[in-house]
Amino acid sequence: MLACLCTVLWHLPAVPALNRTGDPGPGPSIQKTYDLTRYLEHQLRSLAGTYLNYLGPPFNEPDFNPPRLSAEALPSATVDFNVWRSLNDHLRLAQNYQAYSHLLCYLRGLDRHAATAELRRSLAHFCTSLQGLLGSIAGVMAALGYPLPPQGAEPSWAPRPPHSDFLQKMDDFWLLKELQTWLWRSAKDFNRLKKKMQPSAAAVTLRLEAAASDL
Amino acid sequence: MEVYFYLRLLSKTGENKRMKNSSKFQWLSSVIFLYLVNQAHGQKRGVPHDLKCITHNLKVWDCSWEASSRINHGTTYEICIVNSSYPCIQTEKTHFEIPALSLAEHEIKISSMHVSGNSVTKFILNERSVSLVPATLQIFNLTADFSTSTLYIKWNDNGSVLPRHSNVTWEIVVLYKEDMEVATIATLNTTLIGKDSLHHWSWTSDIPLECTLHYVKIRYYIDELHFSGQKEWSEWSPLRNISGPPIKENYEVFPQDKVVPVGSNMTFCCVVEEPVLTAQFGSERCSLIRLDNKSVAIEINNITVSPSSGTNVVFTTKSNMYGTVVFAGYPPDIPRKLNCETRDLKEITCSWNPGRPTGLVGPRDTNYILYERFSGRNVTYNRDEEHMNENHQLIFQMIAGQEIYNFTLKASNPVGRSEAVILVDVTRKVYPHTPSKLIVSDIDPTAIILHWHLSGNFANITLLCEIEINTAYSGQELRNITVKGLETSSYRVSVDRLMPYTMYTFRIRCSSENFWKWSKWSNEKQYLTMEGVPSKGPDIWREWSADGKSVIIYWKPLSINEANGKILSYDISYWSEEGKQHLKIPDPQHRAKIQLDRNDCIISVVARNSAGSSPPSKITSMEIPNGENLKVEQIVGIGSGMLFHWNYDPNMTCDYVIKWCNSTRSEPCLIDWKKFPANSTGALIEYDNFRSGTRYNFFLYGCKNQKYQLLRSVVGYTEELAPSVAPNFTVEDTSADSILVKWEDIPVEDLRGFLRGYLFYFEKGEKGTSKIQGLESGRSDVKVKNITDITQKTLRIVDLQGKTGYHLLLQAYTDGGIGPGKAMYVVTKENSEGLIIAILIPVAVAVFVGVVTSILCYRKREWIKETFYPDIPNPENSKALQFHKSICEGSSTLKTLEMNPCTPNNVEVVETRSAAPKIEEDTEIKSPVADGPEEGSDAEPENHVVVSYCPPIIEEEIASAGGEEAGGSSQVIYIDIQSMYQPQAKPEEELEKDSVGGAGYKPQMHLPVTSTVENMIAADGLEKAAGYRPQTHVTAWNLDSPDSPRSIDSNSETVSFGSPCSVNSRQFLIPPKDDESPKSSNGGWSFTHFFQNKPND
Repeated sequence: MLACLCTVLWHLPAVPALNRTGDPGPGPSIQKTYDLTRYLEHQLRSLAGTYLNYLGPPFNEPDFNPPRLSAEALPSATVDFNVWRSLNDHLRLAQNYQAYSHLLCYLRGLDRHAATAELRRSLAHFCTSLQGLLGSIAGVMAALGYPLPPQGAEPSWAPRPPHSDFLQKMDDFWLLKELQTWLWRSAKDFNRLKKKMQPSAAAVTLRLEAAASDL
Repeated sequence: MEVYFYLRLLSKTGENKRMKNSSKFQWLSSVIFLYLVNQAHGQKRGVPHDLKCITHNLKVWDCSWEASSRINHGTTYEICIVNSSYPCIQTEKTHFEIPALSLAEHEIKISSMHVSGNSVTKFILNERSVSLVPATLQIFNLTADFSTSTLYIKWNDNGSVLPRHSNVTWEIVVLYKEDMEVATIATLNTTLIGKDSLHHWSWTSDIPLECTLHYVKIRYYIDELHFSGQKEWSEWSPLRNISGPPIKENYEVFPQDKVVPVGSNMTFCCVVEEPVLTAQFGSERCSLIRLDNKSVAIEINNITVSPSSGTNVVFTTKSNMYGTVVFAGYPPDIPRKLNCETRDLKEITCSWNPGRPTGLVGPRDTNYILYERFSGRNVTYNRDEEHMNENHQLIFQMIAGQEIYNFTLKASNPVGRSEAVILVDVTRKVYPHTPSKLIVSDIDPTAIILHWHLSGNFANITLLCEIEINTAYSGQELRNITVKGLETSSYRVSVDRLMPYTMYTFRIRCSSENFWKWSKWSNEKQYLTMEGVPSKGPDIWREWSADGKSVIIYWKPLSINEANGKILSYDISYWSEEGKQHLKIPDPQHRAKIQLDRNDCIISVVARNSAGSSPPSKITSMEIPNGENLKVEQIVGIGSGMLFHWNYDPNMTCDYVIKWCNSTRSEPCLIDWKKFPANSTGALIEYDNFRSGTRYNFFLYGCKNQKYQLLRSVVGYTEELAPSVAPNFTVEDTSADSILVKWEDIPVEDLRGFLRGYLFYFEKGEKGTSKIQGLESGRSDVKVKNITDITQKTLRIVDLQGKTGYHLLLQAYTDGGIGPGKAMYVVTKENSEGLIIAILIPVAVAVFVGVVTSILCYRKREWIKETFYPDIPNPENSKALQFHKSICEGSSTLKTLEMNPCTPNNVEVVETRSAAPKIEEDTEIKSPVADGPEEGSDAEPENHVVVSYCPPIIEEEIASAGGEEAGGSSQVIYIDIQSMYQPQAKPEEELEKDSVGGAGYKPQMHLPVTSTVENMIAADGLEKAAGYRPQTHVTAWNLDSPDSPRSIDSNSETVSFGSPCSVNSRQFLIPPKDDESPKSSNGGWSFTHFFQNKPND
C-alpha cells in the first residue's frame, strides 16, 4: 500500500492537469473569445441596422443583394466547406486574425466618413469591441503556441482612396456583410476549437479523479 | 456678239427671306434672270454665260461663269474691265478674281479664244449683283466640363479681313445622340472690331455629357450696312464632337456625386453595354428613357432634400448594379443674428445662427468665411463636428489701432452662397470675461480694498463694474464703480461705508463704460471687517433688592451694529461710601449686583471690545418717591402687545421707561424694560415672550433729572383666557330647604384673566344623573346664579325641597371665557313637620268622614233601613194564603218568609248616576280612564272591570294602613272612593256590562297581596320615575276578573292587580320604605309628594 502511494506521488508531477493548476490553459480564453464573438454578432446586428438605414434605400432593403464587384479587397469569409474542414487550428486562427485585422482597418475608414455623430460613436464602440476580439484571438493563438500572422501584408489591404459615394456605400455594405459572415464563421471556429479542447481536459480530470480514489 | 445684261433693270424682283431686306430678294431675282438669259445665249452660241460674283470679305470679288463644255476645253479667256485701269486677265478657267469695284456699273468683257473661233461676251457688273457669303468657320476649340455638363466652344471671327463694325450673327447648333437630334440652337450677335478675336460660348446640358455623344456646328452671317449686294449665311462649320470622359473616372452612371438645389430637375443616365432592367431613385422606381443603344436615362423632377448620406440612384442590369449618389439641399440661409463682440479687446468673436438647415452635411456642408473689409483679412470657419449643433462662431484677431470693423460673413455650399454684414465698434461691444481672484484687504473698520483679475487689454476704455455687497444684517447692496481699464488685468478699488465687524460677501462683475453686457459674476468672497468702538452705551436699568441693601443693575447687550465688534466686558463704575468703585463684568453676563444700602448714586456702564469702549450709560440708583398711592390698573393687550397711554408731562426730561414682569415670579420683578423718549405719550410694548393668559405687572417710570419716578402700576394680560381650574368649593351647611356653599379663590396663575364672576348651577336630581355638565343655556330645570361680586365667597341657596338630592356646579369666568366647574351632589335634610302633617291630615280627614258618615247614617237610618234592610214580613204573620191582600199596605203585621240570619254581602249596584267628582279636586290627579275613556274602553273593556273594582268600605283600616308603613304589610288596604262617591260615567257603564256578564261585585277583603307590590314598584319605578305615572300599562294586568283563581295566585304577571291604588288615579298609595331611594321617590306619589305638591324650587 505504501509502495503504491509512493508510486502515485512519484508520478504526480507527470499528470498534466496538475501541472496546469496555475495556468488554466486555452480553454477559458477560447470560451471567452467565443462569447465575445457572439456578443459582437449581437452588436453588429444593431449597428448594421442603423448604418444601412443611414446609407438609405436600396441598401436597407431586405432583399438588396448587390454584386460584390467593388469590394474585392475585403477579406471574404466564404469558403468551401471541404476546404474549411481541411484547415488546421493554426490556419483557422490565423485566417480569423488576418481577416479581423483588415476588417478593423476598413471599419475605421467607415468611421471617418460617417456623417452623424451618433453613428460615429456606435462605430467607434464596435471598433473597440472588435479590437478586443482581435486581442482575444491573439491570446488564444499564443496560448496554443501558434505564432501570429505577419503584419507586413497589411498595406496591401489598406482602404482604397476615396472613390464615388455610391461605390463607397457598396464597400460599406459589403464590409458589414463580411463582418457578419466572419463573426458567424468565427463562432463556428471557436466552438469547434472549444469542443476539441474539452475532451482532453475532461480526460485529464478523469484520470486525476481515478488517482485520487486510489489515494 | 455682245450681250448686255442690264441687271439693274431686273433688280426690282428679288427677295431674300433670311436677311429680311427687300433689296436682297431683288438681287436674287436678277441673278436668276441673268442666269436664264445667259444660259439661253450661251447654249445657243457656246459663249460664257451666267456670270456670278460672290465676295467673302468685300475686298475681292470672285466671279465665275458657265461655259459649254464643247467649247470650254482648250479655250482661253481674256477678261477685261472696260474703262478700267485694271489689266485684263488671261485665264483658262471659268472664274476670276478681281478687287471689289466701285458702286457704279462696270462692263466686263470676256473674250473666249478657241481654235474654233473667238467670241466676246460682255457683262454689266455692279456691287448689287455680288453676294456676300462669309468664309466657312473652323471651331477653334471645343471642350466639356463633365462635372457640370457644360460645353465650351471657342472660335475666331476673322475680324481682320472683314469690315470693321460689321454686325455678325452666329448660329450654333448642338446635336446629341447617335441620330443627331438637336439638343439646342443658339444665336449670338457680335460686332467685328477689325481684327481677329476669339468668341466663346458655353452651354450646360440637361443630361450629363457622358450619357451620349454631343456634336457642335456653327455658321454666321455678316450684316454689313455699306454693302449693297446680297448677304448670305456662311457654310456650317465642320461638326465637332466632344471627347469622352476621362478614363480614370470610368463610371457607368452619371452624374456622379452631384450636389443640386432642392427642387431641381435632373437626368441620370447609365452607360453600359448590357441592357438596363430597372432604375431606382431612392426607394422609388423610375421609368427608363433610352438615349442610344447603350445608354438609358431617368428623369427626376423637383428633387426633395436628401438624407445625410445622399439619395442613391441605382440602375440594375441582369448581372450587375450601377449607381450614383445625389445630394439635394438648400443653399445656405443668410446668417441670422450675426453679432460680433470682444471679451478682452484682443480678439473679436462673431457668432451667428445659420438659419434653415441646408440638408447637406460633411464636405458639402456650408462653409463660412468672415471677411473684414477695412483690413482685407478673413477667417475661415473650422467646423468642429462634435459641436455642430451649437452656435456658430468665428474668432478674429483684432488689429492694433483699429476699432471699427466691417465684417462680412460669407456662407457658401455647393448649391449657393449668401452673406451678412455687420459694422462693429469694438469698444462698444465689450463683454468682459468673468472677474476672478477676488481678494479683500482692510483699510479701516468701515472700508476695505477689493482686488480682482480681469483678463484682457482694456487700456483704451473705462470699465464699469458692479460690486454686490451682502450682509446677513442689512441684505444686499449694489454699488457701481468705474475703473480705468488696464493692460495688466489686475484691478483694485476701495469700498467704504461698511459696518465694522460685519461679515460681508462680495462679488463683482464688469462691463465697459459704453455698456454692452455685464460679465458673469465673479465667485463670492466673504470677509469680516475690522472691529470698531461700540457706538453707544448699553441700555441699562436697575432694581433694588427686596431688603433694600443692594441694587442689581441690568443692561441689554448691544445690537450687532452698535457693538461694532465682539464685546469683551462691561465696565461698571459708581460712587459708594468707599469712593468710586469699578466692576468689570465679562460679556455673557448682563447684570451686576452692587451693595449700596439705600444710598443714592449714579451708576455708569460702558461696553468694551477690542477696539475701545462705548460711551457710558448712566442711571441713578434711587427713585423719586411717588407722591400719592398708586392704584393698580388693569389692562388687556391688543393683539401681540400692550398699549399704554399717558399724559404729556413737561417735567419728564429724560425718558419714560416701562418695565414689566411676570406677576407670579418672585422678586425682583423684572423681565424686560423699554425706554421711550420724553416727549412720547404712549407706547406699544411688544415682546416675543408675552404669553396669553399670563398676568404681567407693568410699571411706568418717568425720568426727571436723571432720576426715575414710578408713575403707574398696571397689571395686564396680553390676552385673557378662561380660568384653567375650577374654584374649589365646599358645602358648609345643609338644611331641609337650603344649602350654604363656600369657595376659595383661584390662584392667579390659574385664573388666566381678570376674574369677572362665578356661575353657580344647581339642579334637583339623583346622584349620578346630573345634567349640569354639558350645560346648555335656557334649561329650565337647571337653576343658575351669576355671582358678579368677586369678593363674595359664600352663597346660600334657599327654597329647596327637603330630603332631596341636588347637583351643584361652580364655575369661575373671565373675559376670556368660563373655566371648568366643580360639581357636587348634596341631599337636603328631611322635613319632619311635613311628615307629621302628612300623617295627621289623612287621619283627620278619615275621622271627619267617619263622623259625617255616622251622622248621616244616623239621620237617615230609617231610609237606610228601608233601603238596605227592609222589614221582612214574618211568615208567620204572612197571609200567604191571603195574597189578595195588598202587600203595599205596609202593615208590619204582614210577615214574609223568615230568612234570618241573612247578611247582605252581595250588593249589586244597579245605578250610580249621581256624579260627585269631589275627590279629584283633592288630589289633582286625573285618572287615565277619565282622561281617555274611549281608549281604555275600546281597547280593553274588561280591564276596567278589574280596575273599577274596589272594596266598598273599611275607612278604619286606611288609618291603620297609613300608620304602619303599609308597604311592608301583607294586609292591603283599599280606599274604594268610587264606591263611596259617584265615579265617572264611562267606567260605570263598563262595570255594568261586566255585571251583566255575571262577574258581579265581589269584595276583596282577603286578597293575598303581599310583597308583589314592592316588586311592581321596583319594576316600574325607574322608567316611570319622573313624577306621576298613571298606570296605563294595562296589558300587564290580568284580564281575568280579580277574583279568579289566577289573579289571586298573583304571580309576577298579575302583581299590578293587587297594588294599592286610588281608583281614579290608579296610584299606589303606599309609600316606599326608603325615601331617598330613587325607586321610591319616583315610583309613585309618596306622602311627601302628596303634601308638598308645589313646584320644584
